[in-house]
Amino acid sequence: MKLELINLTKRYGNFTALDHVNITFTEGITGILGANGAGKSTMMNLLTDNIPRTEGQILFDGTDILKLGRDFRSVLGYMPQQQGYYEHLTAQTFLSYMADLKAIPKKQAREEIEKLLEITNLSDVRHKKLGGYSGGMRQRVLLAQALLGDPKVVILDEPTAGLDPKERIRIRNFISSLSRGRIILLATHIVSDIESISDQILMMKHGHVVGVDTPWNLTDSVAEKVKELPCAPEELKAIQAQYKVGNVFQRQGQTWVRVVGDELPTGGQYVPDHLTLEDVYLYYLGE
Amino acid sequence: MQELRRIGSNRRLILGLVLILLVNGFLFVREQRVQDYGLNMELPNASMVLLGDTFTTVQEPVDPGAAYQRYLNWLDRVRGLSLPDAASMLEREKTDLAAKFAGDTDTEEDHLDYVAVQTLQAQIQYLAGYGDRLANIQRNKENLLTFSLFNDTDSFAGRNIIKTAEEFEALQGVALTLGAGGAVDALLTFPLSDYCLLLVLLGTVLSFLEERKAGLWSVVHASPRGRLRLAVRRTAILFSVSVCGVLLLHGTDLALGFSLYGGAQDLHRAVQSVEALGMLPVRTTVTGFLGQYFLLRIAAAFFVGLLLWLLLAAVHNVKYTVLVAAGVLAIEYSLYTFLPVQSAFNVLKYFNLFSYISLSALYTNYLNIDLFGYPVGIRNIAETALVPLCLLLASLCLTVQCRKKPAAGRDLLGRAAYRFNGITDWVLCRLPLMGMELHKTLWIQKGIVITALLAYGVSHLSYTANIPLFSSVEEAERQYTATLAGPITEDTFAEMDAIQDQLDQVLQDYEDAKTAYADGQLSDAAYNLQTYNASAARTQSEGLAAVRSRCVDLQMLGAQHGFTPWLLDETPFLSVYGSRAQVNQQQAALLALLALTLLLAGSMACERQSGMTTLLRSTAQGRGTLLRRKFLLTVLATTFVWGTVFGTELYTLLSHFSISGWGAPARNLSMLEEFPLNCSLSVWLALLYGYRWLSLLCCGVLALLLSSCFQRMETACIGTGIVLLLPSLLYAYLGVQVLRPLAVLLPVQTMPLLLDHNGAVSEAVTWTAALLGLSAACSVWRLVGEGLPRSLSETA
Repeated sequence: MKLELINLTKRYGNFTALDHVNITFTEGITGILGANGAGKSTMMNLLTDNIPRTEGQILFDGTDILKLGRDFRSVLGYMPQQQGYYEHLTAQTFLSYMADLKAIPKKQAREEIEKLLEITNLSDVRHKKLGGYSGGMRQRVLLAQALLGDPKVVILDEPTAGLDPKERIRIRNFISSLSRGRIILLATHIVSDIESISDQILMMKHGHVVGVDTPWNLTDSVAEKVKELPCAPEELKAIQAQYKVGNVFQRQGQTWVRVVGDELPTGGQYVPDHLTLEDVYLYYLGE
Repeated sequence: MQELRRIGSNRRLILGLVLILLVNGFLFVREQRVQDYGLNMELPNASMVLLGDTFTTVQEPVDPGAAYQRYLNWLDRVRGLSLPDAASMLEREKTDLAAKFAGDTDTEEDHLDYVAVQTLQAQIQYLAGYGDRLANIQRNKENLLTFSLFNDTDSFAGRNIIKTAEEFEALQGVALTLGAGGAVDALLTFPLSDYCLLLVLLGTVLSFLEERKAGLWSVVHASPRGRLRLAVRRTAILFSVSVCGVLLLHGTDLALGFSLYGGAQDLHRAVQSVEALGMLPVRTTVTGFLGQYFLLRIAAAFFVGLLLWLLLAAVHNVKYTVLVAAGVLAIEYSLYTFLPVQSAFNVLKYFNLFSYISLSALYTNYLNIDLFGYPVGIRNIAETALVPLCLLLASLCLTVQCRKKPAAGRDLLGRAAYRFNGITDWVLCRLPLMGMELHKTLWIQKGIVITALLAYGVSHLSYTANIPLFSSVEEAERQYTATLAGPITEDTFAEMDAIQDQLDQVLQDYEDAKTAYADGQLSDAAYNLQTYNASAARTQSEGLAAVRSRCVDLQMLGAQHGFTPWLLDETPFLSVYGSRAQVNQQQAALLALLALTLLLAGSMACERQSGMTTLLRSTAQGRGTLLRRKFLLTVLATTFVWGTVFGTELYTLLSHFSISGWGAPARNLSMLEEFPLNCSLSVWLALLYGYRWLSLLCCGVLALLLSSCFQRMETACIGTGIVLLLPSLLYAYLGVQVLRPLAVLLPVQTMPLLLDHNGAVSEAVTWTAALLGLSAACSVWRLVGEGLPRSLSETA
């Protein structure tokens, strides 16, 4: 099972949101990283055929998704970034309605809804109207609807936004457990969410793919690019202007900075054992 | 200022206000027309006839607008005269006019004069009798106090009699004068403005609570100016809205009233000169009354606004505010409307929110209620209590605004609501996709309210029009038509011949009686009876001749077009579908269009407003299937609206008239002589209602598809209304002929396309083609846009 993007391009007038993207997604979790405006949501909208493409193809197992139409949508689970919901419906009715739209038989839908409400920790509030839910609760309902019908392709745009750490871990682990036999695309700003569960990470910048690799290869690739060094508070501004600065922290009464880049200041020390995906993000995608 | 700016920038509120003002003004003018500008329209030649199963007064129509102008002319002529002189002048005129009616020489001008004169006479009669009325109150006091039941002056009854007499004694010697009082009358008897004002106040108060809905209550409450200062400003805003609301709504009514009823020149008169205010025991002029009335209206509006604010602000959970408001208003309205005046709890009737909403009743009715054994006037209670109540409520509102903690509320109804939702969930989860679409239309898009309003509107529609009889010959013709109804055969003519023979015999008997009478062989009474019979026989003979002529015409027409001639009583059809019923049909069609527009305009926009579009489109059935369900919903909604509006019309036809001859060819009806098909009446009716259904369905499909062009339900309703309703309204009510090709009212109404003989059929065909073509094209466009159904895509 594979999902191929071939020369995929989307232009809004003169602005190119996605520029001849070529990539193949296979089974497992692909984390998509990119700053705002990098083209992540455009790609998601093209994958779900919510906007018309300008050029290129999206093939699911060799057939264009436009040709597959409903057949592709019946294996698709999508959670959009913007929370769309009917505030007058309860979580249970909303999920049931979405199950209907996904053409899931009623009996199967009831079982799946039960299970997903448990997983998303919404069982006790299932009869509460969505209008009365907090942002995090709505996020969980939307995630639950995306997972209805055992979809083969799951597209999750910021699934853990607004969740508390405990819920995030719970949901993250659940998504991780789903990865076998599915293509899961997970776009997020929270780097730690994809760091531990992604099989591969796609990095996007200005509508281009700037890198695709496994998380450990990506962190290895920046081993010689990250340094920590002490810094006088009055020098901080100058360092920030000259280098890509990650964390600024206090250690033993001194201010330290974590600097990422090809050219690093003299002094300080490399941290090959403590590299994170944030360093990768900053190195590849930081301005 | 920021708070005012925030509320002022609430587009929904401002749009609603503008809409309310327009609707209020439009309905005010319409109401005056419906009420014939307060004129007594009865002519002396009016008669009661059995129309269907009910007796109805029929007379020649009189244009109320022209009659009111004539009334003003007559008013100018008698204005300078004393009341007795004016009365005798009008009496002379009326006698002259009555003679014209008796001699059958009356003209349309005479009708206008007659209506104007008799209205003025009634007015003069009231003014002249007012002194007697006051004296009567004093006499009643003396008389009643002699009865043992009332002579205890320490009881409520005794005190009430004395108080009433004392208050009206102050009016002794008040000089009432003749003038045009229609504007003040109209202002006092148009309750819609009161309810519109209530809506404006409710909207304003709800806008105060927006911070709760938006989750900003804690932020506002924690800010330095978010408590007392904000509350004071909101109180000031509520007062300003009360002032502006009263001036805009009731001020508009008064201004429109002055323009309709001949200006504001008679405002210096004693207020009792206006008949509606005859029971107001206050010495003042109409101007003085209007000043006092508007001030009290503003204070009452402020009071109502404060009360609503207090009630809604006191409810912690914003979800229940509307529920609480509706509950309180329903209880208050029930007490105000249904509690009998004699009830021991009648204080609740008059010390009631709706006493302040329907303020006019305090001035047009004189009533004292029992307050601890003392009679207190309902007007006095309302006026005296108003200022202290406003102050009390304002301070309570300020306290609630300052002291109510955003995070401290207990959701008392929450648990019950959760359980209730559990039950509804059980039902909703078992509904198919179509059922959920219906649920969304009824509850999310508030279709249930529109349905209720439609039912209310239909219950107020009139489906039958009077078909006047201008002479006894016409009456006889109608009777013979009913008697001889059926296929026109030789037997019909034979039957007519037989009747004619009987009538001839009566005439012959009369001739014999005349001779006998001349010879002195017949008494006066017997001769008079013969004369009367002969006169009736002549009339009936003329009526029968008209029926015979109609039969001959129908035979020729039938031979020409190949249908069986049939004699039919056309009254039921003329009454329901004829040209005189066009206004009824226009209103019914407009109501159907309005209901359909409101039911369907939010259908697609609701998905966008709730941000669901992308999610729906990513599901297997969220495109073509969902759209097809929405089309099906359109068919259902159309059928429901059509059934409610036009089904009631058909029911009216069938229940009010006993119709025989459903199998008669439709072209036998004079109004359908040009109808292109040879079909029976029942088939014609099926075609008529089918065509209306189809036209409505096309409008429904257009409303559905137009809905997808809008982001919000409100704008979708307005936009769809502009496309589907505005051209029809402008064409129907303002006569803008250039909009006729866009007035979808015509195909929905259908009959104007059939009654207008000038190319009517081709216009009906054009309309059908245009509507079907447009809705089909739009549907295909949407279906293609949403993705082809799987079967088609597989073929492709």
